[in-house]
Amino acid sequence: MSEDLSPYSKHRFLILIASSILISFVLVVISMALYNSSGAAQLDLSRPGYVSVRSKAVTNDSDFENYSSTGSINQKVISEFKVLYTKQATKTKAADAFGGDPLNFASLGLELTTEQ
Amino acid sequence: MSKKLLVVCFVLACGLGSIPLAKAFAQDTTLSDQQITLIKDNCVSSRNTLNQLHVSDALLRVNMGQAYESMTTKLMDRFNSRISYNSLSNSDLVAVSKDYVSALDEFRLDYITYEAQLSSALKIDCEKQPADFYDAISVAYKGRNLVHDDVLKLNQYIDKYQLALDKFEKDYQVIGEGAKK
Repeated sequence: MSEDLSPYSKHRFLILIASSILISFVLVVISMALYNSSGAAQLDLSRPGYVSVRSKAVTNDSDFENYSSTGSINQKVISEFKVLYTKQATKTKAADAFGGDPLNFASLGLELTTEQ
Repeated sequence: MSKKLLVVCFVLACGLGSIPLAKAFAQDTTLSDQQITLIKDNCVSSRNTLNQLHVSDALLRVNMGQAYESMTTKLMDRFNSRISYNSLSNSDLVAVSKDYVSALDEFRLDYITYEAQLSSALKIDCEKQPADFYDAISVAYKGRNLVHDDVLKLNQYIDKYQLALDKFEKDYQVIGEGAKK
């Protein structure tokens, strides 16, 4: 049997472990970068700090009917769709999302008043 | 040659060095001593408010994003496909849907930016760096307004689709009456 003369042969197992750790580290860095840049992080309410609102997230939107993309078109179908659309549109527009002024310096108590 | 190199290095050093100096001066001119004291005094309460806002906005983003997404995937796109399936003209509806999707993409991107801005404001120690904290809140304030503008735009497109739908119905009725004659 010929002996392997490669300088790495004695440490093959260590090299395997080290390279596995290195590859997994690189993959974790890439996936974390994707997680943050794609906007998934902003939608992830399982992160620490979001416990209080986690239960308030809408997980079942079954009342938002999936309209059929096939079938005939007639006056009745159009009227039915219009009713469905108006109902959902009204619901969606009801909340004044990101409105108000919570980041205003006055709201945060960081604005000087005339008394100060 | 070496003299030229020295001059270039000096100019570069002056230029780079002036950036933090200019920043520091800009902050000094922006905030008065009274304002700095006020920020330091209200540091804890304003940070708490920002933390609560950060969390409630995340929930709002999830729920509103889902609702706006459903408007296009569950209703607009499907109705447009149904019209195409019946070989009818739906150009107005498709145009509004496209604009709506673009506005939705903009909303997503602007929210990512705003969230990053608010997160960086929260990382600043307002007792040690009141001016930086003030600036970061200003930036986040503008970012949140942009997100609000996107929401208003999306609502406008929802209304526009409704109008396009009314027009489609009228056109369909005209075609139907023409066919009867």
